Amino acid sequence: MLNIAISADRLTKRFGKFTAVDGISFEIPYGSIFGFLGANGAGKSTTIRMLCGILEPTSGTGKVGGFDVQTQPEQIKSVIGYVSQRFSLYSDLNVIENLTFYGQVYGLEGSALSDRIKEVLTLTGLDRFRQKLSGELSGGWKQKLAIANAILHKPKIIFLDEPTAGLDPLSRRSIWELLYQLAESGTSLFVTTHYMEEAERCNTIAFISDGKILKIGHPAELRQQLNNQILEVACQPLMKASRLFLTLEGVRGVTVYGTTLNLNVTDEKAVEERVKAVAAKEGVTISSIKPIAASLEDVFSDLDSENQGNPESESKKQ
Amino acid sequence: MNIIWAIAKKEFIQVSRDRRTLMMLFLMPIMQLMIYGYGINTDVKHLPTYVYDQDRSYLSRRLVDSFTQSEYFTVKVQATSLPQVYSALDRGYAQSALVIPPDFTANLLKKKTAQVQLLIDGTDSTPATVALNSSQAIVNAFMQNEGFIPIQVSPIDFRPRLWYNPDLKSTYFMLPGLIGLVLQFLIPMITATAIVREKERGNIEQLLVTPIKPYELILGKIIPYIVIGIIISCSIIAIMHFLFVVPIQGSIITLFFLTLIFLIVCLGIGLWASTVADNQSQASQIVMFMAMPSILLSGFIFPLEAMPSWVRDISYLIPMTYFLKIVRGIILKGLGFFDLIDQVWPLLLMAVLVIVLSIRRFSKRMA
Repeated sequence: MLNIAISADRLTKRFGKFTAVDGISFEIPYGSIFGFLGANGAGKSTTIRMLCGILEPTSGTGKVGGFDVQTQPEQIKSVIGYVSQRFSLYSDLNVIENLTFYGQVYGLEGSALSDRIKEVLTLTGLDRFRQKLSGELSGGWKQKLAIANAILHKPKIIFLDEPTAGLDPLSRRSIWELLYQLAESGTSLFVTTHYMEEAERCNTIAFISDGKILKIGHPAELRQQLNNQILEVACQPLMKASRLFLTLEGVRGVTVYGTTLNLNVTDEKAVEERVKAVAAKEGVTISSIKPIAASLEDVFSDLDSENQGNPESESKKQ
Repeated sequence: MNIIWAIAKKEFIQVSRDRRTLMMLFLMPIMQLMIYGYGINTDVKHLPTYVYDQDRSYLSRRLVDSFTQSEYFTVKVQATSLPQVYSALDRGYAQSALVIPPDFTANLLKKKTAQVQLLIDGTDSTPATVALNSSQAIVNAFMQNEGFIPIQVSPIDFRPRLWYNPDLKSTYFMLPGLIGLVLQFLIPMITATAIVREKERGNIEQLLVTPIKPYELILGKIIPYIVIGIIISCSIIAIMHFLFVVPIQGSIITLFFLTLIFLIVCLGIGLWASTVADNQSQASQIVMFMAMPSILLSGFIFPLEAMPSWVRDISYLIPMTYFLKIVRGIILKGLGFFDLIDQVWPLLLMAVLVIVLSIRRFSKRMA
């Protein structure tokens, strides 16, 4: 238990009649990256706000760094770091001034403060922007400043709310390198993201939808569960085929990938036969058809179809 | 304490980089001082006057001279007919006209009642009243100087004297009140926008997850604006005293402390506005809206005594009403703290009330 950084036990938040977070439970050990996935409005931010001690849960308990979210929110605030999705440092202060201000807020002062600022500047590579107004930094550097800021007081737990949203691939990669470094040093990271390849980098991921955790586990483990269930079909015309195949027995969902379709199926062999048959009848030419390993996106759309799905995705209603 | 100081320091840096706020802080007091000090002058002097002297005697010229020497009237034209005088008044070339009949000297020497007609344009009541009153005094003085004793001799020796502002200079009246006007306008404006800015730019999201307590945030944010308010007040007093030579009769220290109370009321208003508004422009609209009655109903321009009683009741809810009595009392009359106690306690009460209420509202919104 000592190794647990963040835990939630049937954590619930209701706003009036609306249940934003519905009895979620999980445990995150120190030194690991926890990926929190879900659509907008699924309950990710509400969960983070409860765990950070700024929103009181309606029921259930949560512990962060050994402190209770209900009764010790102030203690929690001093042991966590927080990186928000929207840049929320002062854009009219320069890099050093921002860091100095937040360092003082966390009780650092004098040479301890200036030494620590030097450390985080080196770690994040922000050294050359010391005197630059933070509003003038590019998106990626702003986010790095936000991370530098969040780790000033050496928190063992950091919450990052979509830290890479809207960034270019290079910035995203360097931010993830930074996150790995932090995790390696024993820090626990709670990250929300929309990017599947980022979810792949996490030690544990949880899918949340309508306030409930649908699935939780190691990314590889989750993909494993869908083994022998994904059929990749290269065919023409694509959208017509997609509609056709969705009506077949044993097809739970169809996802379009460029020039191929990924069919989420219950029985590979049987479905393969049916797909070939219907394609021949309806004039769809199949250039290849083969079983493939599931990606996280498949896992996600599979969950989506299980969960009645949203109207935009091509999922079969059950 | 360190946290409060850190916030205050950060706030100072931000203000010093915000050119728009700086311009407002610097230009608004200067502009107001210039407008009220040089521009708006409610003193009535040099009223353009037509003179139609039909007597053309030594005495009639002496009478006209005493009018011009008073500086209330300036002779523009020696008219030659009554229609000319009437049309000048109609068209606004003249605001008053002095008509001396041909038998003026003759009647005076015969100790009969000599008639002199003064026509005054009463469209604007202020100069008209001043002209009317001063003309009486001028004529009385003329009679005495020339050795004609005024006809009515009253058993009461009535000698009215003006105290505190014997020359009735409007700068004496306006400029002390300007401290109130500027504080009432600027301080809530910058306080409210500074706090709302944190909300608008999302800074509050980061602050919320830090160990900062609401009261620390409020104090830290308020301190810079207290300092700014003090600097502004002192500058206005200095300019008023040295440039416009308004004498300060009372104690500067009393003035300082009572101004501080008013400053706190203004900060509270700004703080309250910040809890109501979602963005900076809303905040400034609210502040403007609240400042309007303070300018019109506090006695800054229009005297409270002239207002209907229900309006006066409203004016007693306005902090500036009390502050104006305080600044004018100290600067013009030399009143001390205890002379002003009736103004001090309502102001103090308002300061406590508005600060407590807005801090509670603020803390609730933050949580």
